[in-house]
Amino acid sequence: MKTANQPLLSLKGITKQFGSLTAVNGVDLDVCPGEIVVIIGPSGSGKSTLLRSINFLEEIEEGTILFEGQEIGYVTSKHGRRHLDAPHKICALRSEIGMVFQHFNLFPHMTVLGNVMEGPLTVQKKSPQEAREIAIDMLAKVGLSDKRDVYPATLSGGQKQRVAIARALAMRPKLMLFDEPTSALDPELIGEVFDTIRDLGKEGMTMIIVTHQMGFAKEMADRVIFMEKGSFVAQGTPEDFFANQMEHDRIKSFLNRIL
Amino acid sequence: MKFFNGRIAKRSILLFSCVLLFAASICFAKDYDQLFTEANDAMAQGDLPAAISILKKVEFEKGDDSGAFVRSRMQIARLQFALKDMNAASAAAKEVLAVYPDNSEALNFMASVQQEQKPRYKVFIEDCLRFLPQLLKGAVMTITLVVCIILISPVGGLLIALGRISTFKPVSGLCWFFIWLFRGTPLLLQLFFIYYGLPSLGITFKPFTAAILGLGLNYSAYLGEIIRGGIQSIEHGQMEAAKAIGMTYWQAMRRVIIPQTYKRLMPPIGNEFIALIKDTALVSTIAMVELMRSADQMFNAYFNVTALILAALIYLLFTTIFTFIFEKIEIRAGIYENR
Repeated sequence: MKTANQPLLSLKGITKQFGSLTAVNGVDLDVCPGEIVVIIGPSGSGKSTLLRSINFLEEIEEGTILFEGQEIGYVTSKHGRRHLDAPHKICALRSEIGMVFQHFNLFPHMTVLGNVMEGPLTVQKKSPQEAREIAIDMLAKVGLSDKRDVYPATLSGGQKQRVAIARALAMRPKLMLFDEPTSALDPELIGEVFDTIRDLGKEGMTMIIVTHQMGFAKEMADRVIFMEKGSFVAQGTPEDFFANQMEHDRIKSFLNRIL
Repeated sequence: MKFFNGRIAKRSILLFSCVLLFAASICFAKDYDQLFTEANDAMAQGDLPAAISILKKVEFEKGDDSGAFVRSRMQIARLQFALKDMNAASAAAKEVLAVYPDNSEALNFMASVQQEQKPRYKVFIEDCLRFLPQLLKGAVMTITLVVCIILISPVGGLLIALGRISTFKPVSGLCWFFIWLFRGTPLLLQLFFIYYGLPSLGITFKPFTAAILGLGLNYSAYLGEIIRGGIQSIEHGQMEAAKAIGMTYWQAMRRVIIPQTYKRLMPPIGNEFIALIKDTALVSTIAMVELMRSADQMFNAYFNVTALILAALIYLLFTTIFTFIFEKIEIRAGIYENR
């Protein structure tokens, strides 16, 4: 039963450990359809790990992930051991959740169009013509129609990231995860990527954005979350967050360092 | 008793020699054995001109069937040949032919003098033409082997590389063992084992099959490690990005990771294949007639170094062509980096 108020994504008690280090410590988070959640916090606070856990790039030790009300990704074996679900199921889940990385991770041996076509072609087994049409649409969306036939090596950082966004969008995901999408960019290139992501938000895309860029938090977030040492320290609407949560010493010192 | 017997023996030898000398002096007008002995002594001391002048004292006599004349003149001819005086050498042989026109030794000698008097390059070209048909047959076999291994070993190597990086322990362990075994023992030993050793276990291969098997296993092991290195050198983010759009591990390998290794793999794999061209020479030891074996056969039959030089040139030609081809492939494989 799906209701209007049902969260698209619901995280309960997510815990991820690297050896003795607890990177994410019992995090709960509900993301409603169309909501834009921006997670900020110092390096090593577990933001990226949390994001990667949602896409199963990290295997969590504890907690459950619900997507559209369904518990996903993990099964418990007869011996009571929890482990990741069968690979084909994980792949099916991932294809519904798009992810954009700090370092773009474009496929350098494919043209821009090839990169964007790859998901529909290989994962969704669409025909080359169909995949091509989707890719052309997505490239138009990120404003890179003219770069269709070049290889990624010739693009600027901002262009690369926009191609990466188009590549993720080509799978028609229900949720987009952005892992520090502008951190590897020169300052003057941040704007174009920022605008692309903001346009996506305006179209109603549900997004979780991990960033150091306060612009995301201030200008497009429905909710801002401050994360530190694996936990959510504070959260609220941007207005509320920047007005009231600033009282929080740790947030204040973090923001002072950033701004 | 002993002393007495010794004396008797000495006396009898002396007596016997006297009889022989007498008989010889009846048979020959002159005692040439003495001259030949002197000539041999001179040769032993390295004084060839002296030996020649001694031998010249032997003269032709009608009715002499001891062959002393022919023997002396042919000896002179060979000595002059060794002294590089071809005119004197052929003059000596001609002396023999003047009295015995059918003497095969003299005729052969004249032929080799003529050969020697030709310009060196002509001799070389003649040798080449003589050896080339055989050598080219061998070269065709060498190339057949090389092409077969170039087709087989990358496939084997890829399987081994994927096995090595598998998280499934039995598979990665097996691949590790395979590489350890075939990289850790001489290729020659592997070939011997397959061709000569396995028949004792009831498994018999034809030489060609054994050669393909030995080279194929060995080169798969080497390429396995090279390809593994190539795969692991691809940035981890590539696999993550592929997974993030929903690809399975194998789709990511096939579409994203492995194609990116091509450019990086070309130099080391080119190296391996050039080593392969030369390593095929080892299969000559298991009854395969390829370029090295052909050259060896020619060299042994004619004792002529040209066969070996020619084989070396053919090997160089092959390696040069391969180097060239691999450079071209490397450039093509990395075309996306330069555009």
